[in-house]
Amino acid sequence: MQYIKKNQGSYNLHMVRTKKFKTITLKIIFHTPIVKEDITKRNVLSDILLQSTSKYSSKRNMIIEAENLYAVDVYNNTQRLGNYIMTSFILQVLNDRYTEEGNVEKAFEFLNEILFHPDVCNNSFREDKLSLVKNNCRVALSELKEDTYDYCMIRLKEAYDKNSPVSYRMIGYVEDLEKIDEHNLYQYYLNMIDSDYVDIFVVGDFNPKDMLEMVKKNFHFRKVKKEKMKYELDNKTVRKRRLIAKEKEENNQSKLGILCPLSKMKDYEKNYPMVLANIILGGGVDSKLFKTVREKYSYCYSIFSSYYKLDQMIVISAGIDKENYSKTLKEITDVLNQLKKGKFQDKDIKIAKELYNNSINSIEESPMNLISEYLSEEIVGFETYKEREKIMNKVSKKEIIHALKKIKIDTVFLLEGDKNEEN
Amino acid sequence: MKKIELCGIDKTCYYDELENGLELYFVPYEDKKNYFISYATRYGSDILKFKLGSEEYTPPLGIAHYLEHKMFEEENGEDPFTFFSSNGTDSNASTSYDYTQYICYGTKKFNENLKYLLRFVNNPYFTNENVEKEKGIIGEEINMYQDMPDYKLEMCLKQNLYHKSPRKYDIAGTISEIDRITKEDLYKCYNSFYIPNNMFLLIAGNFDVENAYNIVKKEMKDIPSGIVPKIIEEKEEESVVKKKQVLKENIEVPKLAMGIKISNKNLKVNSFEQDLYYYMLTTILFGSSSEFRERVRNEKLLNDFYMEWEKIEDYHTFYLMATSLDVDRLLEEIEYELSHISITKNTFERIKKVWIANEVKMGDSVDKEESVLFDDIIKYHKIIPNRIDLIRKMNLTTMNNFLKSISFDNRSIVKMIPKEKKEDILE
Repeated sequence: MQYIKKNQGSYNLHMVRTKKFKTITLKIIFHTPIVKEDITKRNVLSDILLQSTSKYSSKRNMIIEAENLYAVDVYNNTQRLGNYIMTSFILQVLNDRYTEEGNVEKAFEFLNEILFHPDVCNNSFREDKLSLVKNNCRVALSELKEDTYDYCMIRLKEAYDKNSPVSYRMIGYVEDLEKIDEHNLYQYYLNMIDSDYVDIFVVGDFNPKDMLEMVKKNFHFRKVKKEKMKYELDNKTVRKRRLIAKEKEENNQSKLGILCPLSKMKDYEKNYPMVLANIILGGGVDSKLFKTVREKYSYCYSIFSSYYKLDQMIVISAGIDKENYSKTLKEITDVLNQLKKGKFQDKDIKIAKELYNNSINSIEESPMNLISEYLSEEIVGFETYKEREKIMNKVSKKEIIHALKKIKIDTVFLLEGDKNEEN
Repeated sequence: MKKIELCGIDKTCYYDELENGLELYFVPYEDKKNYFISYATRYGSDILKFKLGSEEYTPPLGIAHYLEHKMFEEENGEDPFTFFSSNGTDSNASTSYDYTQYICYGTKKFNENLKYLLRFVNNPYFTNENVEKEKGIIGEEINMYQDMPDYKLEMCLKQNLYHKSPRKYDIAGTISEIDRITKEDLYKCYNSFYIPNNMFLLIAGNFDVENAYNIVKKEMKDIPSGIVPKIIEEKEEESVVKKKQVLKENIEVPKLAMGIKISNKNLKVNSFEQDLYYYMLTTILFGSSSEFRERVRNEKLLNDFYMEWEKIEDYHTFYLMATSLDVDRLLEEIEYELSHISITKNTFERIKKVWIANEVKMGDSVDKEESVLFDDIIKYHKIIPNRIDLIRKMNLTTMNNFLKSISFDNRSIVKMIPKEKKEDILE
């Protein structure tokens, strides 16, 4: 396997050459500092670009073209990464040796058409297409509460700090949706193409020189961008007394969310001891939370913790019976306190390291894993994954305890299941 | 072991059946670091009643799933999850209608993991205490699903489609049913269905075939075959139970579910080909590049869309689920499509091309390929090594004859609407 990075001025091209895959995967990432009021616009924009283009007048025509190119997959997603919003367009196509000469190039031209030749007239997107996309977006927004886990996480983060990017709803906001029109959306599109930072990743078996030419030919950005702001959010002072917020919904199960911000830490502590601390706390089916809250007390079916390094926090979530709320919260608090006192075994650290090493070993087995690895190295400032494996193996118990002492429960949110059986 | 070439993905499947009846399917990948092991029994929630000696035995609903959870108890107190985690390996288990599988997947310690997976599934340990403990956990799992409107809609549709089929019941059972489960029930079901001649082992990824074969032979040498009990099934009727139902739920946007129960008695193609032609039909009618999808999309009649086929006994059932602001008009469009079927050669050939490309792509991922092979073993009791050839051989004449032999009249429809009238969402 070979990794080649080329600074093309207006974008960085990352090429990962490997013979492991029969496909070529291309991912173009647009990233820019997040603005709450622009999230909805961003979602609508990325959706409308996949509705039609100047050459393909309908979504059906686009899908048929993709099918003709031996089922090329083209999709997009928008997510927040720390202080940034990232919109990615992903293309996956079979290598020409399994289809026909020139098919990959045609697939790249297809993505070029989607990105650079949108379906516009008079400097505006088409009204009928925008209306369709806005309708879909409006429906998705109205169904927000149907996914009780997602909704609980949103409300937890809003309770924690409604002004922080952490709490921004990535699904968007109805009030912002109504402000979008054909013209201002097109202006936003031009701005994204012109001003966003761009990274392009390609993974597969190809000749780097040919690939560079093919990318240059199809993905051209004019401006060289200025220096970036940092991805990581600033530390926030932890509340002296934890904030407890509750909301009732007509559900059988209650969802509990707990947010623990990190106090100031050095990069080493965030990249290594804290990662192991989270695996031990609630990273999987062998974690302390799983063993205690689920296996010992039977309070829940699912419980886990997630570590968001760029947001500088750990979030714990569980699905429980509302009657068990206080007992569950007490047990979670106890588990965390016991860990801070160093009440865990060397065996727990060994398991956490093994699981981490396994995830490192799996990176090369999937094109998307490879892309997210090189993206992390690029923007999060990680060491290479081979270096990380070595460093992680040397992390001590003392360092893990030290990291654990820097997290504290700040905000608790209970989405209380309030099912009235007569309903 | 017998070698079976998997055409199109350039892989070989090594097959053998041990003396005790355990079937082995090994698919080595030379270019991958990871592997995936699945040890499975053909026992799932479809088995509601069976003969135990001369008696008929009806365990509580949800017992196969409960049994899966309790297999993670060991007499020496060791936790299988901890064992696999210590080896940097992920593990899990799942129960479906027609199987229960135990899996582990990782990049190292293959030998230890394989041995352990076989041992822990071959050695149950149930006590009154550990059986009781699981009731709270599974109760919360059931509650979690009960809060998902799509799941409730699907279960309601199945209850309206099937008179007798076990598919009308939730795989996990109900809270009152699982409350009746005892360790004796679990042992009875385990001893009846967790026997080598009712099970198989599938391994895909980075491993040495001969080494794996020797480990399995050694681990299984003292495990005798058994007699799979006679399963007592009630024949499903051709009609549906209820043609229409409206549910009022705590949702914002209405949902629609349609089920069509189709008899296969007039079909002249084999089971795998039946699946191919049924999927081809609905991909052309309702797939993402269909005229139907374009029409309902442009008329703002469709937000989410999901479709699936299920086979039970001599029937295929088509499920279609959608979210729409106007479910009545959407239903009219679906019904129109079903009564005006016309398939062009161009579309038919294009979909074949897509399927063949997808088969080749599948070979890139060990877990995706494993999952396709697993489905083959469950559905067809063998793997289908020449999928691409069979797709290539599909033709419009057979498709049209196929269409003449089936009927879409046997339908059930469930609409789920908001409890309270909502403000208009549509612009």
